[in-house]
Amino acid sequence: MTRRPSAKIAAYVGVAALALLAGLALGRPELVAVAAPLAVLVVAGLAGARDPELAAEVTVDRERALVDDQVTVTLALRAGTRVERLEVLLVVPPGMDGPDGASRTWATAVALAAGEERALAIQLTCRRWGAYWLGDVHLRAHDRFRLFTWERHLDRHAPLKVFPVPETLRSLVRPAETLVSTGSHVAPQRGDGIEFADLRPFLPGDRPRSINWRATARRGGLMVNQRHPERATDVVLFLDSFLDVHGPTGSTLDRAVGAAASLAAAYLRQRDRVGLVTFGGFVQWLQPGGGQTALYRLLDTLMETQVFATAAWKGIRHLPPRTLPAKALIVALTPLVDERGVAALFDLLARGYDLAVVDISPLTQAGPGGGDWGGLAQRLWALERETLRHRYQRLGAAVVEWPDALHLQQVLLEVEACRRRAGLAPG
Amino acid sequence: MPAPRRARTRLACGLAATAVAAVLALAPLAAVTGPLREALAWVAGLALVLAAAAALRLGSLLGPALVVLLAEYTVVLVRRGDRVDAAAPLVGAGLLLYAELASWAREARPRVRDEQPVLVTRAIVVAASALAALGLGVLVLLAAALPAGGGLARLAIGVVATTLTIALVAVVARPMSTRAPRG
Repeated sequence: MTRRPSAKIAAYVGVAALALLAGLALGRPELVAVAAPLAVLVVAGLAGARDPELAAEVTVDRERALVDDQVTVTLALRAGTRVERLEVLLVVPPGMDGPDGASRTWATAVALAAGEERALAIQLTCRRWGAYWLGDVHLRAHDRFRLFTWERHLDRHAPLKVFPVPETLRSLVRPAETLVSTGSHVAPQRGDGIEFADLRPFLPGDRPRSINWRATARRGGLMVNQRHPERATDVVLFLDSFLDVHGPTGSTLDRAVGAAASLAAAYLRQRDRVGLVTFGGFVQWLQPGGGQTALYRLLDTLMETQVFATAAWKGIRHLPPRTLPAKALIVALTPLVDERGVAALFDLLARGYDLAVVDISPLTQAGPGGGDWGGLAQRLWALERETLRHRYQRLGAAVVEWPDALHLQQVLLEVEACRRRAGLAPG
Repeated sequence: MPAPRRARTRLACGLAATAVAAVLALAPLAAVTGPLREALAWVAGLALVLAAAAALRLGSLLGPALVVLLAEYTVVLVRRGDRVDAAAPLVGAGLLLYAELASWAREARPRVRDEQPVLVTRAIVVAASALAALGLGVLVLLAAALPAGGGLARLAIGVVATTLTIALVAVVARPMSTRAPRG
């Protein structure tokens, strides 16, 4: 701990010295009587000042939480010597609220007896998703006469990941192609499954239970049912983090991350394999994987998504090939603002990927411009965006704008309808 | 609502310190008359402004405020002649009380919530310091009134005490880094 003298110590000693000098020079004992208390207090303070023996430990009651959850940061203090006043200041990271609301710090002052142990529990509310390090604590101890302070910064941080609240999705964007492994998507191929596909004449080797007796009676020959098998698919979530447009109701990146988390959880529940590419200044990718492990890996990666200003982006050709499997359905979540992100989507379409684009509209976040010119500029911007969406659609992608007011499920239904019209999804 | 309560502590200490400083600044005016009184009134005004600023806003003005209050009292003391001022212990205790209250006001940051025992202990320490200062002042005056020793011995004691006090300034007014067990 670093010991620092307080400002008053110099004032006391200085005034006492002046008074004593004046008392000597003028021969007035009254000035000595005035100076003596100040000098004696400093001497008593110096004699009694001992470095405090203080041990502190920061813990968080959990490592994962959802947005709007409350987490408890516990600061365990153990004093070896008496501490007259200990100021404890916890820095609340942006994205979280302390007990006092949106204040960035929370502070209290306690007194600790020798050997006393005290646990301070501080409730924080998670307001935004992300990866946090909690436990940025500053301690400042005072002696009895407040002549010295001892300061210390605790650098032991506890990790906390705050996930967005997953939205309930009843239907998802269905892929154009599926894998051979069993899943929940009705494949266009014929095989063992539940969904009826067609009738055909009986062939040797067909199972008797496949015979459609009604059709057989009508046609006079044995007919069997053909079915669509249920297959899994690879889904790659493409997250454009080049730019983030903030507004009073949130930001485009917040919505994109929330949607990506919800989609990942929903697809993984259907036994699909889900991968992730966050393409922005800092590119991250996860190869498609399945199960709970993949979900946590994906969420952990999502939580570290940030907007980095960089000019080093070189396009999707630098991604590992296995990150984007050939038959994968790519769901892009993008505000269509940065040209590099826009170009990357054209690149994917040119490579023949099955692409569905959710255009997270930044128009609400940006707000209407001021005056007539502002309104005109916003209308022009909206037209430009619409033109861009048409260009994607002409190349075979389903593109749907996601205004702020709509639920993700509504957008997904619209994407699915768009894909059906384009013949990309089974009708 | 905790925040206003925290602000109240700061304000109460600051106002109490200013009140004590006002008494210290205005009381000596009653002991003088004529043009000196007018001049001292200006000094008292300056002392009061400095004291209030130190207590309510700028902690670094604590030293200058104490010095001006002390200077005002010294002038009055010199004008008294040879008579010993029996109120000197009260002035000493008042100066200490003002300084402690002003320091407390600066220490009570609005963002820091002090627990009740901390406030109670602090109040006890401040009150006890003021009382001890009063007792010490009385003892000093009594000791000064004793017919012990010659003027040279007393002068020597005074010089040693003054030198030691000034030496304290050099010793304590530097930051020191010490290690404590890390928890």
